[in-house]
Amino acid sequence: MNESALKGGRVSNAIFHLFFVLLSIGILAPFLLIVSVSLTDEKALAEFGYSFIPSRFSLVAYDFILQSPAALLRAYGNTIFITVIGTVLSLLLTSMVAYVVSRRDYRLRVPLTVYIFFTMLFSGGLVPFYILMTQYLHLKDSLWAIILPGMLSPFYVLIMKGFMGKIPHELIESTKVDGASERRIFFQMILPLSTPALATLGLFIAFNYWNEWFNALLFIDNDKLVPLQLLLVRIMNTLDFLRNNSEYIQSLGLDMSQLPNESMRMALVILVAGPMMFIFPFFQKYFVQGMTVGSLKG
Amino acid sequence: MKKVRYVGILMICLALFATACSGGGSGGGTNGPAASGESSAPASASGSESGLPEVTLTWYYGVAQVSPDQQLIEDEVNKIIKPKLNATVKLKPIDFGSYTTKLNTASAAGEEFDLVWTANWAFNYDENVKKGAFLPLDDLIDEYAPETKKAIPDFTWDATKHQGQIYAVPNYQTVISRYGINVIKEYADKYGLDPASVKRYEDLEPFLELIKQNEPGIVPFMLVGPLTKFHPFFWGYDDYGVKLGDETYKVNFLEASPEYKQFVELMHSWFEKGYINEDASTVKQIDSSHNGTFAASIEYTMKPGYEAEIKAKNGGRDIIGIPLTDVTTTRTSNIATLTAISRTSKNPERAMMLIELVNTDRELFNLLSFGLEGKHYEKLSDNIVKTNPNGGYTASNWVFGNVFNGYLIEGQAEDTWEVTEEWNQSAVVQPTFGFNFDDTAVKAENANVAAIRAEYEPLLFTGTVDPAEYLPEYIDKLKKAGVEKVHAELQKQLDAWVAEKKQNG
Repeated sequence: MNESALKGGRVSNAIFHLFFVLLSIGILAPFLLIVSVSLTDEKALAEFGYSFIPSRFSLVAYDFILQSPAALLRAYGNTIFITVIGTVLSLLLTSMVAYVVSRRDYRLRVPLTVYIFFTMLFSGGLVPFYILMTQYLHLKDSLWAIILPGMLSPFYVLIMKGFMGKIPHELIESTKVDGASERRIFFQMILPLSTPALATLGLFIAFNYWNEWFNALLFIDNDKLVPLQLLLVRIMNTLDFLRNNSEYIQSLGLDMSQLPNESMRMALVILVAGPMMFIFPFFQKYFVQGMTVGSLKG
Repeated sequence: MKKVRYVGILMICLALFATACSGGGSGGGTNGPAASGESSAPASASGSESGLPEVTLTWYYGVAQVSPDQQLIEDEVNKIIKPKLNATVKLKPIDFGSYTTKLNTASAAGEEFDLVWTANWAFNYDENVKKGAFLPLDDLIDEYAPETKKAIPDFTWDATKHQGQIYAVPNYQTVISRYGINVIKEYADKYGLDPASVKRYEDLEPFLELIKQNEPGIVPFMLVGPLTKFHPFFWGYDDYGVKLGDETYKVNFLEASPEYKQFVELMHSWFEKGYINEDASTVKQIDSSHNGTFAASIEYTMKPGYEAEIKAKNGGRDIIGIPLTDVTTTRTSNIATLTAISRTSKNPERAMMLIELVNTDRELFNLLSFGLEGKHYEKLSDNIVKTNPNGGYTASNWVFGNVFNGYLIEGQAEDTWEVTEEWNQSAVVQPTFGFNFDDTAVKAENANVAAIRAEYEPLLFTGTVDPAEYLPEYIDKLKKAGVEKVHAELQKQLDAWVAEKKQNG
C-alpha cells in the first residue's frame, strides 16, 4: 500500500520533472540559438542557416561591435542612469501614493483610488502626450523624458496598496500615540515592513526602465543620449523595415551591405540582455514573497 | 497638517496626470492641431539675399544608421550655406525604422521643423498631404527654385501633385520601373537557357524542370510571398486597372480578369511540380531569397546596372536579368523619395532656397551624401568615389536631392547617370499617370479590401493554394468587403480627372 503510493508519487514526480525540463528547454533553446548565431561565421549562416552548434565559429560580430565601443558604452551609461534613478524615484512615489490610499482613516481614500483606477482605463493618446512632453514640459532631448513618464504606474500603486492594506492599522495608531510624526511612520515603519513588495515592484520597474525604448524613440534626437534598447531597436527595426520595403528600396540603391549582418544583430541582443539576466537571481528570494501579495500568508 | 494634505493631493494629481497621458499609443493621432488654416502663405520675399535675417532651419531625413561624425558634417554644411543664405541648418537624421512613427507624431503634434524627407514607403507622402502636414509649394518653387524645376522632368512633378498643387520636391533619381526575371548565370549557361528566348513565364518552364531534376537543394523559382505581385503592366493594364490604350478609362476588376486567373493557375502548377519554394507564402525577408540557393526569381525594378548590385548580395554569383516588360514609369516609382516643407515651418522661403542650393551646388550635395574627402571617401577619378564604411559617416544620396549632381560609387559604370537619365526620359508614361486616388469617401471599404488582399495575395501568387477553390472565394470576399464600391469611386474620380485633362489640352 505504502509502496504503491510511493510509486505513484514517483511517477507523478517524474511527469512533473519532465514537464519542467521541457519547459526549461523551451525557454533556453531560443536563447542558446541566439548565442550560437552570434558566434557563427556570416557566410556559414547564409549557407546553412541557423543551428545550435556554430557551423563555422567566428568572433567577428563581437569584434566589430566592440571595435568602437564608445556608442555602446555611452548607451550602457544612459540606460544604467535611467534605470537606477528611475527605479528609486518611482518606488518612492509609488509607495507614497499607495500608502496614502491604503490608510483607512483617510477621508478621500475611495475617490482617490477610483481616480487612480480611472487612469488605468483611459489615456490621453500619443499625440497629446507628445505635445505635453515637448511643448509644455520641454523635455525633448533629455533623459528625464524617459524617466518621468514611467515614474508612476497605477497598476503598481494598486498592488502596493493591496500589500500595505494588510499592515494592521493598530500598528500605525499605537505609533502615533507614542508621538511619531507621519513622516516617521512612513519611512521608519511602513517602508521597512513593505520590503518584499518594494523588491518585487522594484524589479518590475527596473525591467521596464531597462527595456524602455519607445519614449526614447520619440523624444531623443541627440545621439549621445540614446539608451541601450533604442540602439538595438534602431538596428533591428531599420533592418526589418528596409527588407520589407525592398521593393522600393531596390530602385533607390541603398547599400544593404553597410548594415550590420545577422550574427552582429544577435551579438548585440546578447550584450543588451546580459546584465538583467544576472540581476534576476538576486531578486528571486523576495520575488516569491512579493508575488503572493493579496493571498493568505502566515 | 491640513495644508500638507492638500499639497500631497496636488502632487499626486500631477503625477497621475503625467502617467495618464503616457498610456499606449492609441492609433497615433491624425488630427492634433492640424489643418489650423493656411499657415504663412508664401509671402513674396522682400529684400535681396544679403538683407535676409539670419534663421535656423531644421531638416529631418532618413538614414540607415545615424553616423558618429554627424556634427562634423553639419558644421561643414553650415560653412557652405551660411554665406549664401544667411541661414544655418540643423540636420536631424532618423533611422528608417523609426522614421514614420517619429515624424507622424511630431507632425501631428505641430512640432516646428522646416524640411522633411517623405516617400511612398516611409512617412507616407499622400497620407501626410491629405492631413495637411506640408505646405503647397508651387509659388515657392517658381520663385526660389527655378533651376531645380528645370532639372526634373514634368511627369515627375506631375506625380507629386495633389489636386493640382505640388507638395514636395522630388529627389530626382531612377524613376522607372521594369519587371522581369533574374536567372543565375551559372545555371543558365549549364542548361543552355537563352535569355532572349524568354518572353513570358511559360518560356522558363523547361529550364525550371531541368533544375528540378538535376540540381538537388536548389529552388528552381524562388518567391517571397508579400513581395510577389501580379504586375498589371505585364498583362497590359496600368496601376489602376485600366487597359492600356483604353480611351474610355474603364477601371477593371483585375482579380476577376482572365489574365489574373491565368497567372495564379500557372503559379499553382509550378508549385505543385515543386519549382517554387514551399515556404514562399510565409517568407518575409528578401535576404532569405538571396542566399544563393535558387536558379530564378522575380525582379521588380530592373534599373540600369542592377545586376552588379545584386551580385554582391547573392554571394558573388552573376545574375542575368530578363526583362518581361518595357521600361515604364509609374506614379509610385516617381514619389519614392521627396523633400517637403512642413506646415509648421516659420521660414518656408528660406527652406526652398536651401532645397535649390542642395539641388544645384555639387559641393554641398556631395558633402551631405558622402562626407569629407579623405576621411569618409576617396576619389578614384573625377567622378567616382570609393566610400569608407568605417569612416564615420554614411548617408544615402537620394534622400537629399537630385542624384545626377553627385558622385558615382565605385562599381557603378562611368555612364550610369547618362543611361539612367535616358531611361527616365524614354520610359512609357502610363495613361493614368499623375492621377491620385483619394480614398476618403470609401476609407473603410478600401481598408477592408487591403486586408483581404494581404491575406490572399501571398497564397495565390506563390501558388501555395489551389486557385480553383481559393480564387472564387477570394473574389467573393473582396466583393463583400466593398471592392465594387471602391471601384465605383475610383471610376468617378478617374472620369473627372480625364475630363479635366481633356479640358486643359
